[in-house]
Amino acid sequence: MSEAASPTEQTLHGLYREHRSWLERWLYQRLGNRWDAADLSQDTFLRVLASPQVLSELREPRAYLLTVGKRLLVNFHKRRSLEQAYLEALANLPEAQMPSPEQRWLLLETLQALDELLDGLPPAVRRAFLWSQLEGLNYAQIAERLAVSERTVKRYMAQAYEHCLLVDL
Amino acid sequence: MNRTFSRESRQLARTAARWLALLDSGRASADDLQRLQCWRAASPQHEQIWQRAEGLRQRFQEVPPSLAMASLDRPEPNRRTLLKRGLMVAVLLPAGWLLSQQTPLQALRADLRTAVGERRGVRLADGSLLQLNTATAVDLDLVHQRLTLVEGEIALNVSRAQALHVELGMARVSVGQAQVCLRRDAEQCRIAVLHGSVQVRPRHGAALALQAGDQLTISADGSGAMDRFDPHQPDWRDGVLSVNDQPLGQFLRELSRYRPGWLRWEPALESLKVTGTFRLDDTDRVLTLLAASLPLAVQARSRYWITLVPRQKAA
Repeated sequence: MSEAASPTEQTLHGLYREHRSWLERWLYQRLGNRWDAADLSQDTFLRVLASPQVLSELREPRAYLLTVGKRLLVNFHKRRSLEQAYLEALANLPEAQMPSPEQRWLLLETLQALDELLDGLPPAVRRAFLWSQLEGLNYAQIAERLAVSERTVKRYMAQAYEHCLLVDL
Repeated sequence: MNRTFSRESRQLARTAARWLALLDSGRASADDLQRLQCWRAASPQHEQIWQRAEGLRQRFQEVPPSLAMASLDRPEPNRRTLLKRGLMVAVLLPAGWLLSQQTPLQALRADLRTAVGERRGVRLADGSLLQLNTATAVDLDLVHQRLTLVEGEIALNVSRAQALHVELGMARVSVGQAQVCLRRDAEQCRIAVLHGSVQVRPRHGAALALQAGDQLTISADGSGAMDRFDPHQPDWRDGVLSVNDQPLGQFLRELSRYRPGWLRWEPALESLKVTGTFRLDDTDRVLTLLAASLPLAVQARSRYWITLVPRQKAA
């Protein structure tokens, strides 16, 4: 740390010093867990660091930090809720079908990646897509379950594919 | 996710998506298929996105349908609810729970824990610093100045004179104005003193004092061994593993504490010598580095199932 800090670093250090405990408190109130709050606040500053051009133009640093922090908090909850749903599904599996610990871990990672891929799709579109991909339902069956026309199902499918292809880009 | 995409990539994704939706409908005619072939052949970009689309479908086919459905199609609270105060105060199971082999259930009773590969530092109310290494569980009872290391490894820096009592199962250690590294697994516990001195009360045998530089290992059968501690041992606090001329087997046993999954090696590799400083946050890279500097090859069935073999054998 003996080298002279660049102006960006100085701005970041100042930002960190002034707002870290405030942001951590804000996150703590929503997480109820100090360590997760500390982790997320660190992540928030790392994100800010990753886009240094913003730093010099910041007029309302707290508003900006909150925007980034909120996004991370929502992602955090999504991962947790996926994990929870996954654990529940695992718990309901018959002993014989229980994957090994390694497989369980791998699967969770894969599911998290798929979950992120689908993130942002409207619920009906997401469902139609999952039914088609995972359960192999045809458009007529999906249309019936969702009470929409087959044409709509096809449109949903195209929408989901487009979304995934773009996110995956 | 507020990414922006060029008009071209949007258009490309849209066209590919329409083809996919048509194929999935089961109503594509021979004519349609012919036209799809033409579209794919028309430009490398078309073919490229088509390959990616097939990869995408493949990813959904690789997961068990019922588990995936239950996980991905869960009721999701909306963003607004998520951001409300105090919603998630309930403690959810940590990811480490899944690694039941590495993290026994007993760990769930602990106050603080780290998953495999995770490290975490906690500043206690009295200013002492507690650092948890990988796969570690700690019960902290500050009212009674007691800390139980359920399993794993911690570093403790207690600045005040009043001692914090640490339970290690096979021994109890009183740490006041001292810096220690403590480690516990099913077979043994290890106490290393970095600064100051500590009192150790083994479950079997007389109490003793350890000075800076001392290291005491107590086995489950009650036997103890004193030696000098390796000054590089606490390097994990900085996220690195430093070794000098260490047998590879010993190195890999240490490294696998930081990796989920299985890491195995052939006995022939056990006594190869390793020297270097390795970053613990990227153990895949450590394996790559080993393969580059030693006569061994990495065989990966998956990220979580790795076998190291002598190099000529891999060929």
